[in-house]
Amino acid sequence: MKRIAFFFLLFLASQTVHSWKKDEFRACDQTPFCKRARFRKPGSCTLIATDVSISDGDLTAKLVPKAQQDHDQDPIKPLTLSVSVYQDGILRLKIDEDPSLDPPKKRFQVPDVILPEFESKKLWLQSASTEKLDGNIAGLSSVVYLSDGYEAVLRHDPFEVYVREKAGNRRVVSLNSHGLFDFEQLRVKKEDEDWEERFRGHTDTRPYGPQSISFDVSFYESDFVYGIPEHASSFALKPTRGPGVEESEPYRLFNLDVFEYVHDSPFGIYGSIPFMVSHGKSGKSSGFFWLNAAEMQIDVLAKGWDAEDGILMPIDQNRIDTFWMTEAGIVDTFFFIGPGPKDVVKQYMSVTGLPAMPQLFSTAYHQCRWNYRDEEDVENVDSKFDEHDIPYDVLWLDIEHTDGKRYFTWDKLLFPHPEEMQRKLAAKGRHMVTIVDPHIKRDDSFDLHKDASQRGYYVKDATGKDFDGWCWPGSSSYPDVLNPEIRSWWSEKFSYKNYVGSTPSLYIWNDMNEPSVFNGPEVTMPRDVLHLGGVEHRELHNAYGYYFHMATADGLVKRGDGKDRPFVLSRAFFAGSQRYGAVWTGDNSADWDHLRVSVPMILSLGLTGMSFSGADVGGFFGNPEPELLVRWYQLGAYYPFFRGHAHHDTKRREPWLFGERNTALMRDAIRIRYTLLPYFYTLFREANVTGVPVVRPLWMEFPSDEAAFSNDEAFMVGNSLLVQGIYETRAKHASVYLPGKESWYDLRTGTAYKGGKTHKLEVSEESIPAFQRAGTIVPRKDRFRRSSTQMMHDPFTLVIALNTFQEAEGELYLDDGKSFDFKQGAYIHRCEGR
Amino acid sequence: MRVHSIFILLVFSIALFLPSSSSSSAPKDTFLGISPQDEKYYKSSSDSISCKDGSKKFSKSQLNDDFCDCPDGTDEPGTSACPAAKFYCKNAGHIPQSLFSSRVNDGICDCCDGSDEYNGKGKCPNTCWEDGKVARDKLVKKIATYKEGATLRKVEIEKAKLAIAKDTAKLTKLKNEEKILKGRVIELKELKEQIEKAEEKVRLQKEKEEKEKREAEEASKEKGKADEEGKVENGEVEEESSTENEPTEGKHDDIIGNVEDSSSNEAVKVEHSDAGLAAEVENDPSSKREGAPVSMVEEHVLENTASSTHTDVSSVATEIDHDDGSKISPDGDRKPESEASSEISDGLSREELGRIVASRWTGESTENQGGKKDHADDSHEEMPKDTHDEQYDHYASDTNEGTGKYNYIDDELGEGYEEESYDDTTPYNYDEPDLSDTSWLEKIQQTFRNILETFNLFQTPVNISEAAGVRKEFDESSAKLSKLQSRISSLTKKLNHDFGPEKEFYAFYGHCFEIKQNKYVYKVCPYKEASQEEGYTTTRLGSWDKFEDSYRVMVFSNGDGCWNGPDRSMKVKLRCGLKNEITNVDEPSRCEYVASLSTPAVCVEDKLKELQHKLDMMNQEQPRGHDEL
Repeated sequence: MKRIAFFFLLFLASQTVHSWKKDEFRACDQTPFCKRARFRKPGSCTLIATDVSISDGDLTAKLVPKAQQDHDQDPIKPLTLSVSVYQDGILRLKIDEDPSLDPPKKRFQVPDVILPEFESKKLWLQSASTEKLDGNIAGLSSVVYLSDGYEAVLRHDPFEVYVREKAGNRRVVSLNSHGLFDFEQLRVKKEDEDWEERFRGHTDTRPYGPQSISFDVSFYESDFVYGIPEHASSFALKPTRGPGVEESEPYRLFNLDVFEYVHDSPFGIYGSIPFMVSHGKSGKSSGFFWLNAAEMQIDVLAKGWDAEDGILMPIDQNRIDTFWMTEAGIVDTFFFIGPGPKDVVKQYMSVTGLPAMPQLFSTAYHQCRWNYRDEEDVENVDSKFDEHDIPYDVLWLDIEHTDGKRYFTWDKLLFPHPEEMQRKLAAKGRHMVTIVDPHIKRDDSFDLHKDASQRGYYVKDATGKDFDGWCWPGSSSYPDVLNPEIRSWWSEKFSYKNYVGSTPSLYIWNDMNEPSVFNGPEVTMPRDVLHLGGVEHRELHNAYGYYFHMATADGLVKRGDGKDRPFVLSRAFFAGSQRYGAVWTGDNSADWDHLRVSVPMILSLGLTGMSFSGADVGGFFGNPEPELLVRWYQLGAYYPFFRGHAHHDTKRREPWLFGERNTALMRDAIRIRYTLLPYFYTLFREANVTGVPVVRPLWMEFPSDEAAFSNDEAFMVGNSLLVQGIYETRAKHASVYLPGKESWYDLRTGTAYKGGKTHKLEVSEESIPAFQRAGTIVPRKDRFRRSSTQMMHDPFTLVIALNTFQEAEGELYLDDGKSFDFKQGAYIHRCEGR
Repeated sequence: MRVHSIFILLVFSIALFLPSSSSSSAPKDTFLGISPQDEKYYKSSSDSISCKDGSKKFSKSQLNDDFCDCPDGTDEPGTSACPAAKFYCKNAGHIPQSLFSSRVNDGICDCCDGSDEYNGKGKCPNTCWEDGKVARDKLVKKIATYKEGATLRKVEIEKAKLAIAKDTAKLTKLKNEEKILKGRVIELKELKEQIEKAEEKVRLQKEKEEKEKREAEEASKEKGKADEEGKVENGEVEEESSTENEPTEGKHDDIIGNVEDSSSNEAVKVEHSDAGLAAEVENDPSSKREGAPVSMVEEHVLENTASSTHTDVSSVATEIDHDDGSKISPDGDRKPESEASSEISDGLSREELGRIVASRWTGESTENQGGKKDHADDSHEEMPKDTHDEQYDHYASDTNEGTGKYNYIDDELGEGYEEESYDDTTPYNYDEPDLSDTSWLEKIQQTFRNILETFNLFQTPVNISEAAGVRKEFDESSAKLSKLQSRISSLTKKLNHDFGPEKEFYAFYGHCFEIKQNKYVYKVCPYKEASQEEGYTTTRLGSWDKFEDSYRVMVFSNGDGCWNGPDRSMKVKLRCGLKNEITNVDEPSRCEYVASLSTPAVCVEDKLKELQHKLDMMNQEQPRGHDEL
């Protein structure tokens, strides 16, 4: 009996151990601004545009309430609105409080995200034409040129901004078409008011009171919307409100360190990119980006959500409405006209920057674990790869390598000879990565802490003292990386002189930069913590990790005298993070669902600029059964960022630990990645030049193929390969949809399959379905080495798959794999056709 | 089919991009990389050679032409063109090597003779003789160890054989004694029973005489009896409560206090029903600490496990569910947000909260959180185990029910094991004087004879002192018998152990080997258990399981459980050495320990011969122009 009871409880215990602590995070109805916004009814915005004019090349206006408001309310001051137009079909709409009317505080605008050169692409508007909308008495609109065939329109009453195709007056993207716009102006606190917010014992003082913004955005000729990472959910975003939706949270954008996140949830995790892309049957895409780093909540509205409100909208069956809410900041939004999916991505990147060109080694396989314990362990793992003839390029050290979680230091017992250890790896062409997190141990004997506190470089709490939060080292403080001066200070810490024990083959991993604060509200920093210039943390929260990533990457550039491309992996990210390095999907779990969801997550990241991304192969938490691990390697070999990683409570899972057969299968999977490195590297260059992601959705290559729109089981690697994971145990068959008219060739057997249909394929343990499209050339290197470094001089194999016209084309890009010389033209780029 | 044919593989020379590399990759010596055993295969055949897997044929000009023709790599033993190929380097003066083809011309010197790097990119001098000398010296040393070890091993084996023979003899003897003693005990028992019968007779007589008197009193006692029964029931409840009551949860105490104070039996019963009790605590508005109901439930579970039935268990489970539910989803009766959900944070300092959240990832108890280096300011670490555990449990129930239960149950399991192993301790008690000395048995027999002689069974009334003598004798004899039996059983157990094919591991029995590493002392007791000690805390790494890998590895399994991980286990690798000692302990995977034990027991002759042969081979390969000094 005792035994039975024991097992029963054990079962229960394991259930509860592996559960996301949902109640520790704020739901929308526990978040006042979100709750308020979600209650708003369509048409409740009464703002109209007045004083419309052209000034400084922009279309400007004031937004004022149409009717006089109640007397006992604060007078609503006019808001300023400006519409700017940039090259390549980009419209920028800004709405803010009028600085000349003396608002209590300047609202935060996220700095250092928009590329400096973006301003030079501005088209100076000379004039606006005015037109009258039929059937509407007050329906005046101002129309300006946007790009060939496209116009931007500002309707005055009620105010609405949209982009349309000239031909046929077809709308593309619009804002405030449903009158949901709301802008809470900063005001002085009244005596009886309580602005504080409490959540689970944490109090947010909210000294500036309510300041949220919300509005609706509509995408036309759209069947699906995508993007706004990071969520563990489907690639095509599911509606969160309206008919057919029982109850759902909005998609939340709030960078959080979520312990054991679940695989299907609109809940916010480590990173945030407020950029959404729509796509529809016409094959056209459009996009919308809101540059705002405060907490954001986004509803995707199911068709008919507004039926009862009887708002008249142009009849358009294929419209998708969305509702955007944020806690603070301003309206600084970008409309991208497309029309192709790749155009939208390109337009977004012209605002936020192109993905950095990675070093060749970083596109190969990475081996990580929390933790490789000591130098002997490192040496052992390294030599086991050689013993089993499995290539790998990078060995990673997690937090335990430090002296008491003081980053930039080494545990003297476990890692007494860090330089020698790195040199030994480097002798085989391998690299090492160590972790550097933003929390700095509050220890007076720790130089970094002393330096930071003396200089006043830490983020301050609401009372003005250095903010003190709990993280790995215990009591910790966080550098205020919003401040460029502090970023510069931080970047100096990576010099060989400052980072004792570092060598040129050492690169960096930024973890916990959401930032994670174990004893803070929702495991992050309180929102009333203060940054440079009195900016509240609530205003920039989602960008903290971005600035930290930026400062670290800059540090590595400086370290190498500007000659060595940095490699920094970050967990938190924001719009623009693509310029600084790679990201991964954080602490996933060793189960099939997490394997499955890694694909939509990586697709969403790629679509929104984060081309260099991956999920922990094997799953971070828990022990994968060997079959799952093998399947994960087979899929992970096609992730842009390919790294095995594991929690320190898990069993060792290096590829040789599961018997000969499994070792061979994992070796094969890793080798596939190595043979394809020339192809991947070429794709990374493509991303670096055009922004088109390495791993992309099927519809990006086949924009008119409706069957591909919601497919997130399969993905394209470049334009030539289609890959689909096996997401269940003991699978015998898989249904794979192959788009387009041309044939596809099985990568392993060469068997041809017709395009434009779903094939039921037999599946073996040896590989996952992967195909090359007819009409393409894929460059490979078929010789295996210890690491990518030794493949430098190996011959290329070109795999040519002819199409029905007996033609094929492909590209190959080559450079030295590590320096910035390619920027001066030190590269070879071949495009072969026919 | 047509479609199939247009899938073409083309290999482009990369001369276009990197002129120096491609043409020079094929070796000048067409037979490079072929092992001596294989030379025939390549040289004797005519112009066309078969791939070893039989899949294809290739011409001699295709041999080592830096283009892979055979899937198994037969045609490219000397280049890196075929992934499956192996490159043989002679390494004269050292040990020959067979390399993966991936090492050929990769810019890294793998063969000490430098033959794997011939494309002129990397300079690899021949270092075989120098490297070989180091290897040879090592080998010489190893051989010496093996030689000496093998001798020691033989001695041990002889000793073991003698000892086992002795044990066996002892066992036989003990069994004989058991037989004799058993007989005596039976006889004594009979005698004792007869005495008791006689005594009973006397007693009945007396009773009869007093019967009348008692019957008279009986009626008046009736009412008092009922009270007495009530008391008994109450007493039971109290007893149960107090076992359950040890932890110092304030709220819980109060309730138990109620139970004890309560004068009404009915009230006691109601409150004591498990569900009712848990529910009451939970719903008690004054219950501040969220952990309280949880740990209560745990205690109940533990209590129940001793006696409970299936239904009991599931009722406990539902309670737990209920408890979880009420905590995790505030949807049910959503209290005002801050109140409902701030429970966890309330009453915890910011620091505690930080530690608790951190512990989710680390699985460490919150006391350990601040990093390993901080012992000085972390006095908790030094605490005796009990306190520590209690704190851990306390923390766990405050934050994470799952963890709490898990650990609690684990501890329970651990105790169970410990009990078991205590039973096992007797055989290890070697210092106990050898009881096979027969004098005691003789003494018993003598006493027995005396008793038989003096005792008159038919004497009435029974002589009280004589009856007591019989009883005492019986008790002593049966105590001795059970002791004897336990000795027999442990000796049998011992002899049933696997001491290896030649009983070479007999000497391990009853011995423990220790090593201190950092703050831990590791203790390996073959045939018993392995443990890790830190101060007063002992963690069991496993109980003796078996030998593995043809007696090269000892396995200890089912040790203490790990949070979120497997039960601890340890493998002890055996290496040839002159002393029995642990040389190293490692934890390559969390909670999976690996130790090395050097011992002569594995210095096997065959291996010695193999080593000697290897050394001879190395010495043979001495290249000209080198003189060993």
